[in-house]
Amino acid sequence: MSETAEAAKINKWDGAAAKNAVDDAIREVMTGDLKCKESFALIDGRLFLCALAVGVALYALLWDYLYPFPQSRLVLIICVSSYFILMGILTLYTTFKEKGIFVVAKEKVGNNTRVWEASSYVKKHDDKYNLVIVMRDTNGNTREASVTKSFANFIDVNGTVVQNIVSNEITKLYHSLSSEKKEK
Amino acid sequence: MLESLFDDVRRMNKRQFMYQVLSLGMIVSSALMIWKGLMVVTGSESPIVVVLSGSMEPAFHRGDLLFLTNYPEEPVRVGEIVVFKVEGRDIPIVHRVLKLHEKNNGTVKFLTKGDNNSVDDRGLYAQGQLWLTKKDVVGRARGFLPYVGMVTIYMNEYPKFKFAVLACLAIYVLVHRE
Repeated sequence: MSETAEAAKINKWDGAAAKNAVDDAIREVMTGDLKCKESFALIDGRLFLCALAVGVALYALLWDYLYPFPQSRLVLIICVSSYFILMGILTLYTTFKEKGIFVVAKEKVGNNTRVWEASSYVKKHDDKYNLVIVMRDTNGNTREASVTKSFANFIDVNGTVVQNIVSNEITKLYHSLSSEKKEK
Repeated sequence: MLESLFDDVRRMNKRQFMYQVLSLGMIVSSALMIWKGLMVVTGSESPIVVVLSGSMEPAFHRGDLLFLTNYPEEPVRVGEIVVFKVEGRDIPIVHRVLKLHEKNNGTVKFLTKGDNNSVDDRGLYAQGQLWLTKKDVVGRARGFLPYVGMVTIYMNEYPKFKFAVLACLAIYVLVHRE
């Protein structure tokens, strides 16, 4: 844990880098401290779409090389249109399915499986890190918690992510979402 | 500085790194697919060419970017500017059609000449070739953008510079997370 935290030294003025670093730290907490098992289905879906698109392009390149242009016309039409359709699907996938979710983790509690989804976003030129954690379990409960905090709370003056603080924050959210059921 | 450049990569997990590689692949693929798409739409194997010589001055200058179409149903006519390939030469030539013979069955043979050249192109054609036919044609000039092609010309004159620029862009895309 401390090793990864040590390595994560970033340019703290770069919003995207800061977001990625904090995202990574949260993933560490979810899958490390909290002993949830990361589920890769969502990111694998995106990787699959990307790989498919690149594959289609490579296929078109190869086909056009083997059967120079006028002959390869039909294959090119199919490849080009499916490539752009795939790009469209990829855009829809990232905006409507992933929605900034950077970790999906599963956890077994008795015979109940809880699925945790953490997503984050940062507005342009803003120091506020917005985190949303959603918990779903097999009983059909869905609970959500969100935190908006400045990066200054998670990253120290040198640009290092302070793993302890992130860990505390996430653990707090985790427990509040886990226990909410009992209070009801 | 250089070390911190690759810090991002070192911190990535397997999937994040794969995504970086695929993003680079998709940038290249998108350019490729736009090019291939243009090929299909224009019917030309090379829909955009750069004029490399001054042989068509004052119509086209070195560095002009030409847009070509090559629809089989449109006949070639005298006076049109065609881009054609000659056996044994890698680079297509942009010249004007000077003479044209068309047969009843639709086959054509034609002779070309650069506006700025004093003689016709027979000296440029392959040994013993007197006429061009439809299969030699890459496309016909439909529009042009002046000077833009100079970038490509410089890039091709200094291949090392070109590869350096491309490598820098590739590394940037690879190590930089959105």
